[in-house]
Amino acid sequence: MHNTWLIAKREYLERVRTKGFIIATVLIPLLMGALVFGSAYMGSKSKTSSHIAVVTSDSALGTDLKHQLEGGKDSDMKVDLSQPSNETRAVLDAQLHDKSSSLAGYLWVTPPVIAGDRPSFTYTARSAGDIATQGAIESALGSVLMREHLESKGMAGSDIDALVAPVKVDTSASGNTTTAFFAAYTLFFLMYMVIMLYGMNTARSIIEEKTSRVFEVLLATIKPEELLAGKILGVGAVGLTQIGIWMIAAGALSSSSLAASLIGTTGHGLISATQIGFFVLYFVFGFLLYSSIAAALGAMTNSEQELQQLNMFLVLPLAFCMVMLFSIIRAPNSTLARVVSLIPFCSPLLMNFRISLTQVPAWEIWLSVVLMSATIFAILWVSSRIYRVGILMYGKKPNLPEILRWLKYS
Amino acid sequence: MPIVELQNIRKVYDTKVAVEGLTLTIEPGTMFGLLGPNGSGKTSSIRMMIGMTVPDSGTVRLFDKPFARTLLHRVGYLPEERGLYKKMKVIDQLVFLGQLHGLDEATARKRSLAWCERMEITEAIGKKTEELSKGMQQKIQFIAALLHEPDLVIMDEPFSGLDPVNATLLMDTLVALRSEGKAILFSTHRMDQVEKLCDAIALISRGKLLLSGSMREIKSHYPRNRVQIVFTGDDSFLRHPGIVEAKNYSGIAEIKVQDEAVAQQVLAEAVARGTHINRFEVIEPTLEEIFIENVRASFGDAEAGGRVDA
Repeated sequence: MHNTWLIAKREYLERVRTKGFIIATVLIPLLMGALVFGSAYMGSKSKTSSHIAVVTSDSALGTDLKHQLEGGKDSDMKVDLSQPSNETRAVLDAQLHDKSSSLAGYLWVTPPVIAGDRPSFTYTARSAGDIATQGAIESALGSVLMREHLESKGMAGSDIDALVAPVKVDTSASGNTTTAFFAAYTLFFLMYMVIMLYGMNTARSIIEEKTSRVFEVLLATIKPEELLAGKILGVGAVGLTQIGIWMIAAGALSSSSLAASLIGTTGHGLISATQIGFFVLYFVFGFLLYSSIAAALGAMTNSEQELQQLNMFLVLPLAFCMVMLFSIIRAPNSTLARVVSLIPFCSPLLMNFRISLTQVPAWEIWLSVVLMSATIFAILWVSSRIYRVGILMYGKKPNLPEILRWLKYS
Repeated sequence: MPIVELQNIRKVYDTKVAVEGLTLTIEPGTMFGLLGPNGSGKTSSIRMMIGMTVPDSGTVRLFDKPFARTLLHRVGYLPEERGLYKKMKVIDQLVFLGQLHGLDEATARKRSLAWCERMEITEAIGKKTEELSKGMQQKIQFIAALLHEPDLVIMDEPFSGLDPVNATLLMDTLVALRSEGKAILFSTHRMDQVEKLCDAIALISRGKLLLSGSMREIKSHYPRNRVQIVFTGDDSFLRHPGIVEAKNYSGIAEIKVQDEAVAQQVLAEAVARGTHINRFEVIEPTLEEIFIENVRASFGDAEAGGRVDA
């Protein structure tokens, strides 16, 4: 245990002191900040602001529509109103083809044949790809028509406002899917990133020791499993430090008043303390589990190139989890979901996902933790075997039967 | 109490027999030379001594106890292929390795500094390993193997790649350690070093022990039958019937005699005939000759399908 601690400590201190670590730790939050502020800024500028023309004989409808489009929630358009006449269409068509004109399209309102029916609408656009404008017109028309209809039935303006106001359902008591999905995705991408960055670093650090032949001195005093465990913990702690710093930075960023004023006050803020606890628990276990796979890969290979060929063993289980995510969200308590979430390679993502979706029995949570721990130790045991034999016969790339035979050596 | 006792150990890698029936004993206070041509199983034997690999059969005893990892805190090991963390500072590296051998940080630091001074590399203490010359790196690793004051020092090719000044410094250090009562085992190809330093040797070839014992014992098995004579005047004494073979390079004669006693007769006869003798030397067989002779024989026998009895 003492030796494992020494190895881990050395690994941690040496890595944290490198320029690469410091640069990545500082730069990523800066980029993250730039991205958040940048997209918030872009978002505020992205209201549809096209210039269109509305041709209608119904001036009340025209005015309402103009009002809605020019001052609506998410549109900031310029609307010209005109009465239909023989020349109107020709003039507008000419404008659409004129490059110097800013007209994006025109809406032609044909009055209904039978009074009381809906008029029909035709929108001719300069560009067929201008979906935003089209969408804005459709939603504006919808609310204008409804308002008109309700008014015609004798409803007061204030009553209409109250009726039209959007409904909010509070689902925080039972946990909501959006939050769960958000948490699962965050976890997935965090895991993916950290495993690819630091899991591979564990493997690399093992390979580095092989090429520099330091291991020979180390193995003269300590056991391979102590060495590998030390590596996983040391490199892991570096990863957690970095993620921790990024998380704090992200937290500070999203709670800063500047960000709040730009993004709007409706943050997520719905993840409960228990969920955060499980998130951390499964994150740590997932990290250790995948790092130990990476350590096994490092123990098997002699160079970075060989390692690259094997890194699918890290990615495949993660991809499998991603696929399962969709069937779990539909039925989080189905047998399939329960079995899959107990597979040690999937528990970190899927069990946590289920916990955020539904009430998972405590025994299942405990079982997943026990299974994950057992798997970590099993992988460590196997890879330390491979490591010990592998390093003594370096130079040659092992094949599977050889690796299996190595397990028998001690 | 023997420090190391290997009893009939055998190790096979797949189909290659690395070590076959090796038995040897190292006493405290001895400098033990493990000799053998490349690929003869020296490193494999050493690795079994320190538990990096386990013999397929046979027993390893350290300090008169069956092998246990806890005993490794009393062993210092310098592997054949040197390895240090490139980006780590020398002092941090030494302290780390000292701690792995069971020292606390303060002791490890204190001893590291003292050793760096002794090995004349004080200026390297604050530098990173990659900035140092190969010889300096080797000295650092040498220190790392000795920091925890081991009772058994095992060094695989400790002098390879060192200039004569540094090689002498290391040799003197090893001699000093021996006089403190520590057992030292090293492997080498350099027979002159072994001849100068070792009290006992083991010669292995193709995984098998060819010779072992104290230096004097081994040499006594080989007849002192060669004589070099530097003379002026009459060379008729060279026709003495006891001389098997004689080469005369105008004044320097190299002769091979039937046995040691004949040498004295030859000298007496030369003096009687009035030859002026400037130098008369009965030459001991050098270790190098013994080495080459034995290794050749082991390969020759093996090729002929025979067995080597050593």
